[in-house]
Amino acid sequence: MARDALVQESRELLAAMENALLEIEAEGVNAEAVNAIFRAAHTIKGSAGLFAFNLIVSFTHIVESVLDRVRNNELTVDDAMLSLLLNCGDYIGALVDAIEHKRENDEPNIARRTELENALNAYLEPPATTVTVTAAEAEESPVEVETGHRVGSDNWHLSLRFLPDVLRNGLDPIPFLHYLAALGRIVYLHTLTDAMPVAELMDAESCYLGFEIDFQTEADRKTIEGVFEFVRDDAHIRILPPHSKIDEYIGLINTMPDPGRLGEILVAGGALTQHELEQVLSEQQEKAIGQKPIGALLVEHQVVPEAVVTAALSRQKQHEDKKAHEQKFIKVEVSKLDALIDLVGELVIAGAAATVVAQRKKDSTFEEASQTISTLVEHIRDAALTLRMVPIGEVFQRFPRVVRDISRELGKEIELVVTGADTELDKSMVEKLSDPLMHIVRNAMDHGIEATDARVVAGKSPGGTLRLNAYHESGSVVIEVSDDGRGLNRERILSKAIERGLVSPDQILTESEIYRLIFEAGFSTAEQVTNLSGRGVGMDVVKKNIESLRGDVEILSVEGQGTTVRIRLPLTLAIIDGFQVMVSDAVFVIPLEMVIECVDLSSHEARHNIVKLRGEPLPFVRLRELFELPLLQHSERESLVVVQYGQQRAGLVVDRLLGEFQAVIKPLGELFQNTKTLSGSTILGDGRVALILDVAHLIQQASHLPTHLPASKTAGLLSNQK
Amino acid sequence: MGKTILIVDDSFSMRQTVGIALKSAGYDVVEASDGKDALSKLDGRKYNLIISDVNMPNMDGISFVKAAKLLPNYKFTPIIMLTTEGDETKKQEGKAAGVRAWVLKPFQPPVLLDAVAKLIMP
Repeated sequence: MARDALVQESRELLAAMENALLEIEAEGVNAEAVNAIFRAAHTIKGSAGLFAFNLIVSFTHIVESVLDRVRNNELTVDDAMLSLLLNCGDYIGALVDAIEHKRENDEPNIARRTELENALNAYLEPPATTVTVTAAEAEESPVEVETGHRVGSDNWHLSLRFLPDVLRNGLDPIPFLHYLAALGRIVYLHTLTDAMPVAELMDAESCYLGFEIDFQTEADRKTIEGVFEFVRDDAHIRILPPHSKIDEYIGLINTMPDPGRLGEILVAGGALTQHELEQVLSEQQEKAIGQKPIGALLVEHQVVPEAVVTAALSRQKQHEDKKAHEQKFIKVEVSKLDALIDLVGELVIAGAAATVVAQRKKDSTFEEASQTISTLVEHIRDAALTLRMVPIGEVFQRFPRVVRDISRELGKEIELVVTGADTELDKSMVEKLSDPLMHIVRNAMDHGIEATDARVVAGKSPGGTLRLNAYHESGSVVIEVSDDGRGLNRERILSKAIERGLVSPDQILTESEIYRLIFEAGFSTAEQVTNLSGRGVGMDVVKKNIESLRGDVEILSVEGQGTTVRIRLPLTLAIIDGFQVMVSDAVFVIPLEMVIECVDLSSHEARHNIVKLRGEPLPFVRLRELFELPLLQHSERESLVVVQYGQQRAGLVVDRLLGEFQAVIKPLGELFQNTKTLSGSTILGDGRVALILDVAHLIQQASHLPTHLPASKTAGLLSNQK
Repeated sequence: MGKTILIVDDSFSMRQTVGIALKSAGYDVVEASDGKDALSKLDGRKYNLIISDVNMPNMDGISFVKAAKLLPNYKFTPIIMLTTEGDETKKQEGKAAGVRAWVLKPFQPPVLLDAVAKLIMP
């Protein structure tokens, strides 16, 4: 177990090191990145030393020595050194792999090691000798409690500055002081009159006073602040704790079991009140001084003594370190998670059944109890599903290096911009996404982005840009790979497709249909097979991979300006929040995230399959006609459910709306494999089966139905309502 | 000299409850049933503090406060709004009129007495 932990930790550190190196390459040397690299090497060496993995220790030591000189500005980082350090990182990675396979005493590649060591030693004068580190170097030092605050005595110190309008607002300073005196003893009170103007300028209705008060009390900060509850907006109030309190706060903070954010720690420890925190936070936002950490602001405003902030920060850090540490150690077999999610699915169904029984019994306490259980089950379901969710950053992480290496190989200058790396999606998808993404990225770099001289001729910047982006959109995860290259050539794709017999020459295709052709098996427009792509495995494999995840791929392209490949995947594979509707006597479920609104169809002008909704035309499908269900007498009123997928909307006409429902997705039998309008089935609380609608296909179908109306008439329908 | 507090509320039971709480703390109490009634009772007497409801017939609490603030004798009188109205815009309106203390109904007598103690001249 410990060995696994070391391997995992080292890999994370290596990834961090690689990122820092690439950052330096892209943006130039900065101390933080250099430190990050140094720390990574240092920690790997230290941890490996604990296990006496000497091969890795001795190699990392030389790397660390070079980095140390960089850190001390004795060496400058140039291109050659960056490449060397990247290669060293790879070699350390190989050594880590060896540890994982319990072959830590076998040198993976002795020639490679000698080569790297020689290159490293060239930077060291005299060369470093190999050493063995026996224990991790202790870096933690105990929290130093600074008590040199200006409050000398053991009194609270209050600074009050009343604003001129305070009297006019029905507030007089005297009652507050009087009230304060009831809480403890006012040891000393100094009245400040420096704001008082000369007599002729003085307004008798205005207040010009301020007070400095030394106050002795057993009350806590919150109570003292409470005294001035009403005068908050009309005075500047500063409350400084006595000496002994500072130690007390620090003591409290250090024993806190689960500290959260800095402000919360301070509030919980009593060093700061909620109101003070909110005030400083709002100031932080207002002045756009977000760069300034809250701790610094609190000290600056003398709200909280520095020693307390420092203690809270270090407590926070300790806890985070501990948490990060713990995180690394939690490893759960995927099969266990899957079993849990299956059970939760069953629980959801059983819960729904219980709710139905409760409703039938018309027993309000029973209903209430079953409602509480449903809510909890919903939480459990969400929590169980998030167990499988991981940030897509795990996949994106490998691309900086890939892009760097490929762009060198191709002799192109390509910059990678990654956004939305913290977008989460199902772990199983992350794994299956890696290969298709790699393929798309390579394709974009190889075929999409032009060579430098071609770019300059086209009037573009010499360096190309490749973007990876991920975000959530109405119940799905969208991943985009875009380049600013030459874009797709429609004519070339079309002629190629005709040549390969994929389409007949007289077929008329829309733009997106033409782009879609590149997903056909065996399609490749690259005139020249390069080392990277065009090796026979085409975009068809990409498409197949994505479709196996119930997702789809779409291509947007502007000739001369670039191409975007957009992958859309469902958020989860197991359980969804559904919206139940009834058509005839059948129940259908629509994924809730895709439902925009529900309206009464009869109150809107509808002709054929277009309804006018708030001045906008919306295509719709009648589910009863689509599924050829009988018309029942009682369903006279029709409801329109507006659904959205991607950027497209459509309406679904149903007889009745039944409301929200948690649906455990069960796949359809093989018999229904080719049914495009259904994506699965689910079991209702009363045991009946409901079908889950495939909204994406339904929207497509709605927008492609023949309108039976010439375009001009449709336009007329829409305009005569203005 | 005893201190007198004016209670403005259209609900008799509310006036009674507030009155009992205040009297038990040693204050004298005068009651008014709405803003208009309260304004008429501002003549000739000196109140040390006013407690007023917001939603009342004839004249609502905020209008009453605005009117009271215009009278020379009541310009500086501390006012507590005792109301079910927790809405932020109403509070802002009250603030603009010069109300700083806002106590929500249903109220705990100690909370109200505490607010009074913070505002009333000793």
